[in-house]
Amino acid sequence: MIGMKKKVKKNIINIYYIPALALFGIFVIYPLLKGLQLSFTNWDGFSQNYSNVGWRNYQTLFKDANIKTTLINTVIYGFGSTLLQNVLGLAYALFLNRKFAGRNVARAVIYVPAMVASLIMGYMYYFILQYDGGALNDILGVFGLEAVDWLSKGSRAVILITLINSIQFVGVSMILYLAGLQGIPSSYYEAAELDGESYWQSFRHITLPLLLPAITSSVMLNLIGGLKLFDIIQALTAGGPGFASHSLATLVSYTYFRGQNAGYSATIGIFSFVLIMAVSIVLMRFFTKKEGDV
Amino acid sequence: MKRRMISLVLGMCMMVSLMVGCSQKPEQMENEEKNATENVGSTENAGGESEDASQSADSGDSQDASNDAAGKKYEGITLSFMSNIAGVQSEAMEEVIAQFEAETGASVEYSSPGASYEELMKTKMAANQLPDLFTTHGWSIARYGQYLEPLNGQEWFSRLSESAKQIVVEQSSGNIYCLPVDVDVAGIIYNKTVLEAARVNVDDLKTWDAFAEALGKVKDAGYTPIHIGGKDNWTIGQFFDWVAPSYLITDEGSNHRDALKDGSFDWSNWKDLAQMMADWKAAGYFNTDCLTADYNAQIKAMAEDKVAFEFLGNSAVTEMQSVNPDASLGLMSVPASSDADEPTLIGGERIAIGVWKDSANKEAALELLSYFAQDENMKKVASADGAPASFEGVESDTGIITEDLAKYMAQCRIFPYFDREYLPNGMWDDMCITGASILAEDSGAVDNACAAMEESYKAKLEVQ
Repeated sequence: MIGMKKKVKKNIINIYYIPALALFGIFVIYPLLKGLQLSFTNWDGFSQNYSNVGWRNYQTLFKDANIKTTLINTVIYGFGSTLLQNVLGLAYALFLNRKFAGRNVARAVIYVPAMVASLIMGYMYYFILQYDGGALNDILGVFGLEAVDWLSKGSRAVILITLINSIQFVGVSMILYLAGLQGIPSSYYEAAELDGESYWQSFRHITLPLLLPAITSSVMLNLIGGLKLFDIIQALTAGGPGFASHSLATLVSYTYFRGQNAGYSATIGIFSFVLIMAVSIVLMRFFTKKEGDV
Repeated sequence: MKRRMISLVLGMCMMVSLMVGCSQKPEQMENEEKNATENVGSTENAGGESEDASQSADSGDSQDASNDAAGKKYEGITLSFMSNIAGVQSEAMEEVIAQFEAETGASVEYSSPGASYEELMKTKMAANQLPDLFTTHGWSIARYGQYLEPLNGQEWFSRLSESAKQIVVEQSSGNIYCLPVDVDVAGIIYNKTVLEAARVNVDDLKTWDAFAEALGKVKDAGYTPIHIGGKDNWTIGQFFDWVAPSYLITDEGSNHRDALKDGSFDWSNWKDLAQMMADWKAAGYFNTDCLTADYNAQIKAMAEDKVAFEFLGNSAVTEMQSVNPDASLGLMSVPASSDADEPTLIGGERIAIGVWKDSANKEAALELLSYFAQDENMKKVASADGAPASFEGVESDTGIITEDLAKYMAQCRIFPYFDREYLPNGMWDDMCITGASILAEDSGAVDNACAAMEESYKAKLEVQ
């Protein structure tokens, strides 16, 4: 009787998953499957009819020179942003974990950019970086230096986009690491001090291992966000000059709407999905193993 | 038990809150009774806006019958109207709409999403859920034709000027799908102050060689010869749209009109104009930030007397004057590629409005269209746009370029926008991208431009 009651209770709980699963199915699974289907067509994105073209879009994907540039950019945005955000975020967290006057203000100032919409952030920096009338060139002018067209070179634009994305979201990493640091008992550091360990030794043997869950969360969030980067690129460079600063996400949008090639756009989208999923799985396994070792 | 009830209530609240972000306007049952289409009455969220028509309890016809004595003709009817037009032109359209609403009792949900208009419209076409009325920005035949109501039977059709008819009549069927409120007659916009300082006379610029010489003079005088806002890369495409006809279309003795339309065009012929852009870039005739400046910077630069020439439509003049009312601006014809040909102008749709063929409120929508076709309303909108009205006998205020327009329209032949008339749908973007590569001075950019244009041309012709 008690066993049956427990079974019924367990099954009733399962009912609460249904709405979330339904929404997940409608807004994630269905679009994914539809995108996969469209990737085998020549749909232009707005006509009522289209034809199946088999693997042609995927063949184009592997021959498209722009895909190589875009893929490299996406990897830079993802891994570059992740590295910067986590190194800086951890540094901020370590510093701001101590008590001093103005600590909370400092935390807020670092976190506030994360609350600004990425598109707005991009436009704000565009007004700073633009060649004619941009704040940065105006400052250079004050010191008698020549104005620089900061966004005219693809490589420079990619680095700037990575930096701006990192500045915007470093606060998120900081918060995650702060929470992690505050979960480490101070008795561990006291014991380490008694054993004569230096600060860096404590950091290596105590802080880092016990921060692994926070590191996992932060790295995964930053990496997926970086690999999917869209808004800042759109605002700063619109993927230009040419295709030089496009990410896979912006290329999907560009190919669909500007290129009027929804079939090929879906192909790029599927490729992007597979890439992000593969990277996520590899990293999750790596971090899970590391956490297990700890 | 109490805890279970609380859990159930909280679970329901969470479920409801998850659905809130996906909320839609309730479907109106009357839509399903009304018309021939499948999707009438459903709405979409696009950027947070609700775009499509929502409808009243009664159909327009029965509204007429029952409410004639009691109220206005389209009382309770709501029309949706999307437009790509922004700024003072959009304000003029909204004034006309407000008058229509006051006279007929209809409610018009007018929206102008700006830069994302085309993307939104493509999404709506894909779903076959279009607004009752929308502007067609030059694509009434090539892109939107299958979704638009033919308008040959409208009483204003006979009033269209010949130049307007040339632009909007579909050659194969003789149908028109939009009311062109005004006609875009474009040349090259120039700054008179800058050209005076550089001692350049636009009447001498009959060929691109003469034009290039003038660019050198402007540069020597310390001004920017040509400004392009390449971050908005459609401004790069504009260059080719202006230049291409003179190399490929306008010469009556030797042109590629038929070859471009039948798919036999040899794309090595594209090299001349691509090379011209490359040569001018190497000579420093474009602004330094031609790839990173945007359209607003382009408007500002011309208004502030920093730039000599810009390849923009005439509506840009209105925007430049809003930055600097004292800007001294003019319009010149597009030079020819050689002495064997003559300078020309470019013509096309500008503010043109169509009615969705499956609109549930077609009668009211067509009436609004006819309202725009009234002389004073057409004049108001065309004047705000600084463009000639499309009806014979309706004079609009074309502003400071009135004299130039009249002069060059009397002298020059007008050719349609190159990409709309001679390229398959979707190739505008290829011109923008290949042009950006040339301006970036990428290695082999000119040859790559020819190859990329050819590849895209063949692929897009296949789909059409």
